[in-house]
Amino acid sequence: MAATLYFLLPNKNKIDFNAQVKPIFNKKCISCHGGVKQQSNYSLLFREEALKKAKSGKYPIIPGDAAHSELVRRIKETDAEERMPYKHESLSEDEIAILEQWINEGAVWGTHWAYVPVQQPAIPDEKNSWIKNDVDKFIYKKLAEEKLQPSAEADKATLLRRVSLDLTGLPPDENIAKKFLNDNTASAYNNLVDDLLASAAYGERWTSLWLDLARYADTKGYESDQGRSIWKYRDWLINAFNSDKPYNDFLIEQLAGDLLPNPDDATYIATAFHRNSLTNDEGGTDNEEFRTAAVMDRVNTTWSALMGTTFNCVQCHSHPYDPFKHDEYYKFMAFFNNSRDEDTEADYPLLRQYSNEKDSARFVQLMDWLNKNVSPKEAKEQYDFLKTWQPTVNALRCDEFVNAAMTGWLTEIRNYGSCRLKDISLDGCTEFTVQFVSIHNTGQLEIYIDSLNTKPYKIIKAWATTKGWDFATVPFGPIAGKHNLYFKYVNTTIKPEHENGILMQWFRFANPFPGKEKAGYAAAKNLFDSLMRSNPETTPIMMENPSNMQRTSNVFERGNWMVKGKEVMPDVPHILNAFPEGAAKNRLGLAMWLTDKKNPLVARTMVNRLWEQLFGTGIAETLEDLGTQGIPPTHKELLDYLAWKFMNDDNWSIKKLLKEIVLSATYRQDSKINEALLKKDPNNKFYARGPRVRLSAEQLRDQGLQVSNLLSRKMYGMPVMPFQPEGIWHNPYNDAKWKMSEGEDMYRRAVYTYWKRTSPYPSMITFDGAQRTVCVIRRINTNTPLQALTALNDSAYLVMARGLALRMQQLTGKDVKTQIEKGYEAMMYKAISDAKLNALMELYNISLAKYKRDNKAASEILGDKNKPANAETAAMVVVANAMLNTDEWLNKN
Amino acid sequence: MTQNELHNQQLVKEAEIAAMQYHTRRHFIKESAMGLGALALGYLFDGCGSKSTAADNSLFDAANPLAPKPPMFPGKAKSVIFIHMAGAPSQLELFSYKPELSKLDGQDCPQSLLEGKKFAFIRGVPKMLGPQAAFKQYGQSGMWLSDNLPHLSTVVDEIAMLQAVTTDQFNHAPAQLLMHSGSARQGRPSMGSWVTYGLGSENKNLPGFVVLTSGGNNPDAGKAIWGSGFLPSVYQGVQCRSEGDPVLFIKDPNGMDRDIRKASIEAINKINQDEYTEYKDPEILSRIAQYEMAYKMQVSVPEVMNISDEPAYIHEMYGTKPGEANFANNVLLARKLVEKGVRFVQLFDWGWDTHGDSANAAIEVGLINKCRSVDKPITALLLDLKQRGLLDETLVVWGAEFGRTPMRENRDGKTMPFKGRDHHGEAFSMWMAGGGIKGGITYGETDEIGYSIVNGKTEAFDIQATILNQLGFDHEKLTYESQGRPFRLTDVYGKVIREIIA
Repeated sequence: MAATLYFLLPNKNKIDFNAQVKPIFNKKCISCHGGVKQQSNYSLLFREEALKKAKSGKYPIIPGDAAHSELVRRIKETDAEERMPYKHESLSEDEIAILEQWINEGAVWGTHWAYVPVQQPAIPDEKNSWIKNDVDKFIYKKLAEEKLQPSAEADKATLLRRVSLDLTGLPPDENIAKKFLNDNTASAYNNLVDDLLASAAYGERWTSLWLDLARYADTKGYESDQGRSIWKYRDWLINAFNSDKPYNDFLIEQLAGDLLPNPDDATYIATAFHRNSLTNDEGGTDNEEFRTAAVMDRVNTTWSALMGTTFNCVQCHSHPYDPFKHDEYYKFMAFFNNSRDEDTEADYPLLRQYSNEKDSARFVQLMDWLNKNVSPKEAKEQYDFLKTWQPTVNALRCDEFVNAAMTGWLTEIRNYGSCRLKDISLDGCTEFTVQFVSIHNTGQLEIYIDSLNTKPYKIIKAWATTKGWDFATVPFGPIAGKHNLYFKYVNTTIKPEHENGILMQWFRFANPFPGKEKAGYAAAKNLFDSLMRSNPETTPIMMENPSNMQRTSNVFERGNWMVKGKEVMPDVPHILNAFPEGAAKNRLGLAMWLTDKKNPLVARTMVNRLWEQLFGTGIAETLEDLGTQGIPPTHKELLDYLAWKFMNDDNWSIKKLLKEIVLSATYRQDSKINEALLKKDPNNKFYARGPRVRLSAEQLRDQGLQVSNLLSRKMYGMPVMPFQPEGIWHNPYNDAKWKMSEGEDMYRRAVYTYWKRTSPYPSMITFDGAQRTVCVIRRINTNTPLQALTALNDSAYLVMARGLALRMQQLTGKDVKTQIEKGYEAMMYKAISDAKLNALMELYNISLAKYKRDNKAASEILGDKNKPANAETAAMVVVANAMLNTDEWLNKN
Repeated sequence: MTQNELHNQQLVKEAEIAAMQYHTRRHFIKESAMGLGALALGYLFDGCGSKSTAADNSLFDAANPLAPKPPMFPGKAKSVIFIHMAGAPSQLELFSYKPELSKLDGQDCPQSLLEGKKFAFIRGVPKMLGPQAAFKQYGQSGMWLSDNLPHLSTVVDEIAMLQAVTTDQFNHAPAQLLMHSGSARQGRPSMGSWVTYGLGSENKNLPGFVVLTSGGNNPDAGKAIWGSGFLPSVYQGVQCRSEGDPVLFIKDPNGMDRDIRKASIEAINKINQDEYTEYKDPEILSRIAQYEMAYKMQVSVPEVMNISDEPAYIHEMYGTKPGEANFANNVLLARKLVEKGVRFVQLFDWGWDTHGDSANAAIEVGLINKCRSVDKPITALLLDLKQRGLLDETLVVWGAEFGRTPMRENRDGKTMPFKGRDHHGEAFSMWMAGGGIKGGITYGETDEIGYSIVNGKTEAFDIQATILNQLGFDHEKLTYESQGRPFRLTDVYGKVIREIIA
């Protein structure tokens, strides 16, 4: 506090714009003279604006001449009509003095720290036996300034549980725990950290975090909130974290894996990151509107999750506080505006994974033939098409319906009805394919070029498609240029005009399957056809529009997508690092710009996030906003030191970064608070003690299952549905049901639980999980009675109590006291205190007396009404239930 | 002050009085055994002199955040029932009588109405759509009402009708957020949170702010519209369900009776107390308090949420069907909750988004059915509150996030299968009753087709200011410091609608 005040006072030193002037502008001026409102045509957001003449004809700021600057006159004015801030409290004398001195010094603008590229900071020269690595030197320096003493290292048991939950989201496996507790060498802790970082559970834990940022869910959102199969992206994340994929590659693949040379299934699946945006299946909604909404969501997520910036303000106007201009939003959005997805209910484009044995063999065989017999370009075209069904034109682009209609994202033509497909570039097309269904074995689809009043250009005989969607292909063209195509359905054998003729999903304008003259063509073509008709697993992915299907991008006036302003080309905000030389102005170039070491935000944002995960609060508390309205970092040099090291020395390795932090003395401190410390630093801003943070919803579930010997360590795969009470799911136009998983799938880690956007798993929400309709930057921990009710009464938690009770009985002989002691040790790795043991013994005795009297109740608490109950076990379930509700269990100390 | 700091400041305060509480608290359950659930945690602290001395956020006492607090001045209302028809009903078929619009039915909309306007779905030049309901005058006040609301017509003299409500939001979620939190973006506290922050709760065993949704969908804006924003999370709305457990996991597991649950909470809290002695983390004390509250809620919530004990004539009056998740049940529950001292009850009904793209969403089909399902219970609520002498102190607000256009929706520029109207924020109707509001009065006027406001313009902020005023708060003074500046529900806007106050 003292330091802040000092900064605000004018002094002989040169005024610091960021520390002294910008806060005054933000608090007192910018709401009328900034990005949103520019009263008197005057704005203080950028220097070039601030030095301009205001509407009055006067210059508010004349650099070097405060005496003649209108701004200074107006803030000193006594007449209320004239004085600024208008109708608000006047500036303090100090504030006025700061502004005067600053103008006299030339009114130099500064760039906010977070927009300046990371420099390697000097490591403080602190020496102390407490210090274990460089992190501690930064921390110790500040502690010394604040006259605070760091705490000693936490005891081994506490440290074991803390670091294990932090790195793997689980209490340690028994062998890892034993090894550490029995290892009295200096490297014991270091080895423990290595073991944890190497365990498969590590990837699952950090994936849970990333799923919030990626707004991952197993449904599409909006009104009917239908299911979406996108879990392979979750599995991709687990593998990426476990293999410690460098963070720059991690981002490049998620943002632009499809644009990398020769993407494989994994790189395509990585791009599902931005296919987690919502899709609106509600009848009658404008697909273009929700496509646009999804694109904007991708822009906002990219900024908030990866760059700690609230960019969405700029959607409607220049940023009120930060140096981002209105049109810069739309230039940035232009990077994302040419992906193939169009809010279709099928969620196209999808990656088709030929994962069953038969398909996979066929695919290998086919590609093998293609690689040997046709040009690489032709082979690639076939590969891309079989893998993605792209490029194709969705039938939702049809219009001018006559006795035809758009049903959702499909075009339906009735008998003698027609529709138009506008502006199709036919250059280079020699074959046309339509995907369709029909119930009639007679009837034909007629295709007209540019007018229905001509002879049909092509006639396709349709048939009754018995196995769902089918494909009809005809030779086509060559025709040059863009044309309007008309489709008409004609069937002389069916009478009523309104009877459905044909339903179409997409059209392909391409070339025939290549290699006609080569040996084995017929067999290869057969493989192609069978793969086209196979029904493989799919995952929504990003793909770019081909060059003849590009959309233009415009500024939306006041953020309204229907009022299009000037056209814009893809670009990044001028205030940040320059676009990498030679990089294409597409998503891949953008990903390279983001992961350029000169990008000031990306590494800082990630470092800050990882710190927050370990300590409960970021070095800059507002993970979502590192801008001028965010809360300044408590240890900016430390943030920069870690960001620099992350990008340079550690080559973007998340494991190395985490290791550096958890090996620090800062992290290893005891988390006990004394009264003096609580007064002096209630928020633990200076880190004179270790973190004490409530566990996340996922960690709570996982550790409960682990300690009760129930946890399944099965990894990957479809989401699971553990126990959930009846009547939670409520959606119109959606009859999906929560169908309880069976066997070990009931006890999988929380990261595998089915996530329905409109109705997430109740205990996840109660313990501060989010709906994930948009990117969730940080969860704010609360402490409510509903959490108590969940941990006490949720069947999932009761099952854990039963498991723990049995485990306690199995750990030792019949002595109840010892059983509780052993149980506590299994949870906390240390001996139970007398007070705690007595409280639990008392509870045991009360419960035992009750269950001895009431055998039925004992059977019920044990979960099987028909089995003769053991009163001792029943009483132990009550004890275990209590143990699983203690504060020390819900927190990491 | 940041959210974290604020939270911790509260916790520090709590820690300071922890010593005082300690001895009392240990025996909390023992001492209260004669009437479990009756003894509130707050009761133990009364007289401890623990009231905050901070200049701002002074209404928040971490030790007893829901203790009843006096308002700034004597308010007429003690509690509020806000009935929200999510999706936005058409004012032109319910409350806003526009005979001139009938004459324009089927004609092209004049260009003057379209210039510079944006609509959610209307494209090109739509046709005008005349009122699709018959209107008559009712009551001594002669208030106009459509035949879609035959029951409500019998109580119009209790109602103050706001005919010129307006909003600048024309999509559901942001408009709902604006109506309930004073901001179209997420992150501000909802009205119910402000009210429980300001007044606490009369009932120590129930949440101060309860949300009920009538089955089906939650509102478009999701749980954010009953969120507590930057206010402490204890003020967020608690969603209660009218089928299954009223609050999830409120029931003890089978085989665990109340005595054992009591003993187990006691054991948990003893262990936590031991933990507190060692770690001195004030958050542990909060945990203890929350377990105590949970225990009490287990008794009080199922009691109040059970409507099957209500007499037959009440069920007849409201049209309730115990066990179902429907609007009528929720309206009756709302009455029970305010009777028990709950401050703010938010009721959401859904399915009012009558675009005309399906029968359910048609002015001539779906809207009529929706009206049938709410007309009787809402009327019953006013009559029932009145017969219990509660209407004077219970403010009932009926409304939605916006209204609907006098033009017929022509999605994608085409004629649609049913009659529908698009979202219209410029002018719509809401009403208030009870809680010191004048009955039988109409405030505000729109033009002859219900498109624009002529006079008596009312914004969400004005409605919020009026609600706070009826509860005894100056909306400009009920503030909370967050991120370095004081915030209030009405942002920098809002004026009390004096014209409708009795």
